[in-house]
Amino acid sequence: MNQTLAAQLLFALYALVILAGGLAAVLARNLVRAMVGLVMTLFGVAGLYLLLNTPFMAFMQILIYVGAVVVLIFFAIMLTRSPAGGEEAKPRAGRQALLAGLAGLAPAAVLGAALLANPLASATRPAEVELKLLGAHLLTSYVLAFELISVVLFIAMAGAVLLGFTRRKGQ
Amino acid sequence: MNLHTLAKSLGVALPLVQMVVGLVALAAFVGLNAVLLVWMERKVAGHFQRRPGPYEVGPWGLLQTVADAVKLVAKQLFTPPGGDRTLFWTAPFTAFLPVFVMLLPLPWSHTLTAFPVNLGLLLILAFAGLNVLALCLAGWGSNNKWALIGAARAVAQSVAYEIPLLLAVLAVVFLTGTLDLGLIVACQGDMPWEWLGASQPLAFVIYVVCAVAETNRAPFDLPEAESELTAGFHTEYSGMGFGLFFLAEYANMIVVSAVATTLFLGGWKGPVLPGPWWFLLKVYALIFLIMWFRWTYPRTRFDQLLNLAWKWLIPLALVNLLATAVLVELA
Repeated sequence: MNQTLAAQLLFALYALVILAGGLAAVLARNLVRAMVGLVMTLFGVAGLYLLLNTPFMAFMQILIYVGAVVVLIFFAIMLTRSPAGGEEAKPRAGRQALLAGLAGLAPAAVLGAALLANPLASATRPAEVELKLLGAHLLTSYVLAFELISVVLFIAMAGAVLLGFTRRKGQ
Repeated sequence: MNLHTLAKSLGVALPLVQMVVGLVALAAFVGLNAVLLVWMERKVAGHFQRRPGPYEVGPWGLLQTVADAVKLVAKQLFTPPGGDRTLFWTAPFTAFLPVFVMLLPLPWSHTLTAFPVNLGLLLILAFAGLNVLALCLAGWGSNNKWALIGAARAVAQSVAYEIPLLLAVLAVVFLTGTLDLGLIVACQGDMPWEWLGASQPLAFVIYVVCAVAETNRAPFDLPEAESELTAGFHTEYSGMGFGLFFLAEYANMIVVSAVATTLFLGGWKGPVLPGPWWFLLKVYALIFLIMWFRWTYPRTRFDQLLNLAWKWLIPLALVNLLATAVLVELA
């Protein structure tokens, strides 16, 4: 099969998976079902990474997001046991739904129009970046961003520990 | 007819043919392996606990599992009322299907790999995480308190044990400098003292403990814990719903043992015998060890389980990783 056509078909498939997952996440009344929608989206994004010839990113996406983050989200859902019929679970009235739909579609329309006006030439097959090169760049050229991420994670962790301790004291 | 001519006559790319043939072979292996391992588990349990195990159906009870499989297939599939039907039936497939992806990059011998991937180790680790998700969905969709408690335990357990497992595996990656399972085997020799398990004994022990916990096998089988939670996350599953979880558990045992073999025990390498035999021998020896654990140790308490991971395995794995990094830099 023609390689370009195959890539386009796969892109369509992954985009469909991402959109379907996103819709499932937004429209679900049940938080766990919304989480499954999120998992679908994450898998679709991993597929896009594969299409960009970056298997490392794709596998890391699955390892970190599906394997760890989603599991933690499930933990949070179970710990909070939010009531199924909360305020957010009610269907929205017509005007609100219309505005929400517009707010969702507007960025897509703007981005789509911009892309159609300036079609990007991305016909060449992207080259796979060697893992060692990627690691070296993360710790030299992009070290600031890399370390900032760890600071964010550290703050989140410290906050979680703090919350845990104050709750224990209150008991 | 070899695969090259087959690919040419079908007019498709060779890797595609390789993948399909590999997947079919792996599917057959997973099915056969489950039948064999269930029988082996009963025999091992029987001999460890001084009872005969199955011996009525077929010679040495060999056909017992076949009879069980027929029973499982014939049973009615039941969805608990009040449960989430979609999630309930998504769960067993989420548990079972990733197994095939995880078996693809394993090197069975010098040339025999279903689908060589240069990030094979990462691929296996990534898809191994889906097992927890399956347990969560099963527990949630069942609308059953035992199942939900089982799911909660599965989450806490897997989050705790995934960290030392990854750290232990990373130590090997530091030594070999690659994530390609074939190349990791190539770094090791035929004899046991040339295996990476000899230079990374602590990582090997940590890996095996975590692997037992990640596959939810006793003494770490808290998500199902029959004596406390009926059957934990799969309480509500009948027939092949349960059957798929079962197949997944035994296939996961193969995966963790095969990865341990590849990383620490020299993979398919060994004297005299050809590669695939050594590989299978080492994998099944490890599985026997895991069964040995199950029928020797009582189930741990939940706080003991978490303390073991957070207070012992993670610090030890970190120290081991640091030492490895220093040694690699010095060498």
